[in-house]
Amino acid sequence: MADTNKNIVFREDDFVLIQKDKRVTDKKLDTKPTTFFKDALRRFRKNKASVAGSIILGILVVLTILVPMLSPCNITTVSTPEAFLAPKLFEAGTGFWDGTRKSTRIVYDVDNEIPALSDKYSTAAIKAALVKIAVDEEPTRVDAANPYGQGGVVVLATDAAIENKNLVMASKAVDFDTNGEYRLDVVFSDEEGVSGSELGEYAVYLKSGDDVVMLRDFSRDYSALSVNISEALEKAGLSSLHGQVVFEVKSAASNFQYILVESVVLSAKETAANVEELAEVSITDATDFVNISDTSLLSYWSCTGRKGIHDSLIYYCDFTIDTYALVYDDADVLTYSATDLNNWIAAGYCTYDYKVGPESFVKLTDDCPIDVVESQTVMGITKKLSSITARGYGYRKLGYDKPPKFLFGTDASGFDLFKRAFAGLRTSLILGVCTAAFCFTFGLIWGSISGYFGGNIDIWMERFCEILGGVPWIVVMTLCILHLGNNFFTFVLALCLTGWISTAHRTRTQFYRFKGREYVLASRTLGSSDLRLIFKHILPNSMGTIITSSVLMITNGIYSEATLAYLNLGLQGLQSFGVMMSTNQSYLGVYPNLVIFPAVVMALMMISFNLFGNGLRDAFNPALKGTE
Amino acid sequence: MADLSAALPFKYTGMQEEDRTMAKYVAKRIGLAFMTAFIILSLTFILVKLLPFERPIGGDAQQIAYFDKQYNLGYVYRFEFERPEYGGYLYKTPTDHGRANYYYQVPVMTQYVNWLKNIVTKWDWGYSKTFQPNVAASVIIGSRIGYSIRLNILSVIFSVPIGILLGIWAALKKNTMTDHTISTMVMIFISIPSFVLISFVLRIFCYNLGWLPSSWPTDSAATAVKIQGYIIPVFCLSFSSICGYCRFTRAELCEVMESDYLLLARTKGLTRSQAIVRHAMKNAMVPIFPSILAEFIGILGGSMILEQLYGIPGIGKLFVLSLNYKDYDILFVDMAIFTTLGLLAGILLDLSYGFIDPRIRMGAKK
Repeated sequence: MADTNKNIVFREDDFVLIQKDKRVTDKKLDTKPTTFFKDALRRFRKNKASVAGSIILGILVVLTILVPMLSPCNITTVSTPEAFLAPKLFEAGTGFWDGTRKSTRIVYDVDNEIPALSDKYSTAAIKAALVKIAVDEEPTRVDAANPYGQGGVVVLATDAAIENKNLVMASKAVDFDTNGEYRLDVVFSDEEGVSGSELGEYAVYLKSGDDVVMLRDFSRDYSALSVNISEALEKAGLSSLHGQVVFEVKSAASNFQYILVESVVLSAKETAANVEELAEVSITDATDFVNISDTSLLSYWSCTGRKGIHDSLIYYCDFTIDTYALVYDDADVLTYSATDLNNWIAAGYCTYDYKVGPESFVKLTDDCPIDVVESQTVMGITKKLSSITARGYGYRKLGYDKPPKFLFGTDASGFDLFKRAFAGLRTSLILGVCTAAFCFTFGLIWGSISGYFGGNIDIWMERFCEILGGVPWIVVMTLCILHLGNNFFTFVLALCLTGWISTAHRTRTQFYRFKGREYVLASRTLGSSDLRLIFKHILPNSMGTIITSSVLMITNGIYSEATLAYLNLGLQGLQSFGVMMSTNQSYLGVYPNLVIFPAVVMALMMISFNLFGNGLRDAFNPALKGTE
Repeated sequence: MADLSAALPFKYTGMQEEDRTMAKYVAKRIGLAFMTAFIILSLTFILVKLLPFERPIGGDAQQIAYFDKQYNLGYVYRFEFERPEYGGYLYKTPTDHGRANYYYQVPVMTQYVNWLKNIVTKWDWGYSKTFQPNVAASVIIGSRIGYSIRLNILSVIFSVPIGILLGIWAALKKNTMTDHTISTMVMIFISIPSFVLISFVLRIFCYNLGWLPSSWPTDSAATAVKIQGYIIPVFCLSFSSICGYCRFTRAELCEVMESDYLLLARTKGLTRSQAIVRHAMKNAMVPIFPSILAEFIGILGGSMILEQLYGIPGIGKLFVLSLNYKDYDILFVDMAIFTTLGLLAGILLDLSYGFIDPRIRMGAKK
């Protein structure tokens, strides 16, 4: 500048206050200036649903972080006794979410008066855990052997289309003689069977080596058979016989031949030597008889052919059972060795003096696995303690200080579903965030270049996106997993490979929208570089829309992970929500809580994510500004 | 639900040419789609062939039949002597007269060239290795694609009218309780992942109520059961579509309802219903109709989980089965179908915009 040396002197008189005597009616602006983001935030807060969504989302995210860290429950070591516990939030007896499970149409064990559960639990434990039971008044007739069935008739059938292969059912050999008043009473049934089978010809006889005493010759007579064996022996000229009772059914080429036997009773006068043995051989309950297999030691009969049951009576019951009481309160009396006891004493869990006996047992800490000593055995000569029998509660045996509560129940491996669900969600969430972060960054750069420069660069970059975007994500994921193995990084990579395209697309559109605006032109006229124009002027204005889309990309990661698990490509080696869900899917019919609870959490997360994302989108959408 | 926004017509704004006729645009678009499909399928083929070779199953006769077919297609070499320069042999044929045939894998790029030749000259897509040994891929696909297509047609038939009607209802009752209820339900159901929805539906209708079969009925099942078997898949498939159509229709109609020309229609004396039916609906349908076409094709890929969970023997289930069997040739053909369908849906969506509404000229300058 040329005029810098020129001396200009200003005096105070030169300045006049032009509005000195005028009244100024303008008011100073009271409101604070706002920015785009502040305004968006204000509008976001006005949207109640989105705020609710983000609060729920916040809670869920905090849970996914905290639950896997803080929950002491086990989700790594399989513990089969604890499998399939019902969800429990309240104490037992409240009737809702209290660890009880309702089962319907379970076979009823009439002898023990309990539902016939698997032999995993003791009768006493089941009885103690039963909350409610309703047994059918009428028994159900079934045609299958069931250990808890009763009555019915024995079906003895030959094979169809095989001639000369008679069915022979023979008892074990029993002593009969002429003066024991031996009797045989057999009751038959003549019910017609299904098509393809017919009531066949049969015979009943006694057999000992070559001696055969016919009691009823081959016929279709299904009336009750009642014979005095002693008389029959006399008639045959035998004084005694060590023989088998034999039922023989004649086979036929055309179809199945069968007879129905309700009962077979062998009896003798009370003074006979083998009355008890006869009672053992007798068939009084057809179901019990069929339940015992021919090879069993308890079996007194052998059978060549089909032996089945018809009209066996089963009682079904509906019941509610406290699954926790079943597993954790089961106070079995078990035997522990002296070594065990000494270890506990050494560890300071309890004190015991075997010279005094069981009364001397004192439990010192909750770590002690037993509560009461029932009895003790000492060695004969040395009089040293060899073992004790003691009562300990189930939860102690399973390593708990007090009976645990599982909010969502446990799965087939005895894992806490609550912790598993959130641990799985954590993996999914990390996956989603990682993917979204990468896709956001890369898509932003790609879209900026493509949108800002336009022309040929844009065309080629678009073509590239189009080809990559044309590959279905499932194909990309599958190929990546097959080539690179199944691990977390493969998942991130595969999701990133195509995930950035939508962000790039959106950014490009935004750039087309803003790059012709006056403020960009102004900045360009002032000599701004391309980088400055992109990052200082255009990008900040288009950021809102782009950020919103990347929030929804997180749900994409979660969803993809779960979907892949259903296609047997689930994430291995880490806690995976999808793998858990697809494994539990097979229990949907029996233990719906295994699917429903995680599904609700997942749905809640997705819904709140969408609410949050939609709220953000609306808040950042300049077109909607001022419309509400 | 296909991402409808991804196919909206602002892709070609950067093109330089001044005037381009519709026909030219269509031709270019289709040509481009072919190129894209070609490149994707080629890459997929090479990637699949690069996977470690899995042995075919079955006895010697079956394996020989498989390798001979592969030899005829040009994917393996066959020699009468061992040729270590080709690496370890894949298979050795035991023959009666002390001789043996050795099969070696052909280099992947040569396989690729042969594959192209087979497709172009014979339309031969290869054979199954382990899933249904020695059955042609086209036969396997043919026997399964019917189920998927039938389900999708049914679900479109159900979802389009219901979805659009719900959307119209919500738009007409905008900002009332009805609108809020419909919009909330749509929002909730669109967020729920499909496997969650399927689980709930199965639990309620199959296990709790026992009204419907809990898995796809076999071909020998009674007709009544077969018809019942369609209910759950069609319901689950339509559900997200209904929500999608409803949301889309509502948004479009709301926008049109606030437009100036509708105000003009009312001011010139049309009743509200006349204005809506003659003006608003016609214009609102513009973007909805193409989305139906795209949805129809795109949904074929979306039924994979449903087919897996409900045991439907369609091409989605085939994807999982061929993966489990490590039958990569079938997997590739299945992938090719999904890719082609996806691209086809994209083109239809783009093109139908232009056909339906002359105001939209695809590819025209901004």
